[in-house]
Amino acid sequence: MIGMTRSPEQENRIFQALADPSRRAIFEALTQGEAAVNDLKARFQISQPAVSQHLASLREAGLVASRRDGRRIYYRIEPQGMEPLIGWIEHYRAFWTERVDRLEQLLNRMDQ
Amino acid sequence: MKLSDITAPSQTEALTLVFELAHPPEKIWRALTIPELMAEWLLPSTGFKPEVDTAFTFQAPPQENWDGLVHCRLLAIHAPRLLRYSWCVGDLNTQVTFTLEPDGTGTRLVLDHAGFGRDQNRNFAGARHGWKAMGQKLADLLDEQD
Repeated sequence: MIGMTRSPEQENRIFQALADPSRRAIFEALTQGEAAVNDLKARFQISQPAVSQHLASLREAGLVASRRDGRRIYYRIEPQGMEPLIGWIEHYRAFWTERVDRLEQLLNRMDQ
Repeated sequence: MKLSDITAPSQTEALTLVFELAHPPEKIWRALTIPELMAEWLLPSTGFKPEVDTAFTFQAPPQENWDGLVHCRLLAIHAPRLLRYSWCVGDLNTQVTFTLEPDGTGTRLVLDHAGFGRDQNRNFAGARHGWKAMGQKLADLLDEQD
């Protein structure tokens, strides 16, 4: 129920990827839609290798996906990428709801 | 029992559940702080004492890659109003807070489980500032997936 069936390594990769403000900015920009490295380079005024490196980190963390079109590579948000984090919340939402249900049954049995 | 979930839709760090229970706070408090009663609804515990800074554990059923132990430390206790302990499972370092407010003849029990995606590693503290800005967009994206 409250198990460790998930991968802490994957969570760490997500946090590492998003701990950097530039990467967060790139990630946020991609939530507006798909973009190529050059688009991002122009928007953030950072070098192409830096943008590529940030994108590689985001991709490794499962937050960003890419596709090639001719000579250009387009990057987009991987919507499932954040689920390992959101998953804990859903997990405990179910856990606590069930446990408080049991609490109420106990209260009904208890003396004042 | 009436349950309200007041967790913000975009929230990725904390869970807030509100339960309206038809029992007085003092009675619920006993169920929250007496180990024999805690075992009946939550989990069996070892080492729990109603004193701040007490380290204790809950024992959940062990799994293949987890011994089932939840490591806790009592962070705050104000009978019969507020109880807070840390809740650590592996790298997950969270805090659980129970707040009891009298509500007529019953109690409004607020259960706040906070710290998801935070403090997993202090080096990642920067990530937390990103959540709020991104939260809604991410929630929207996830909704689109359904």
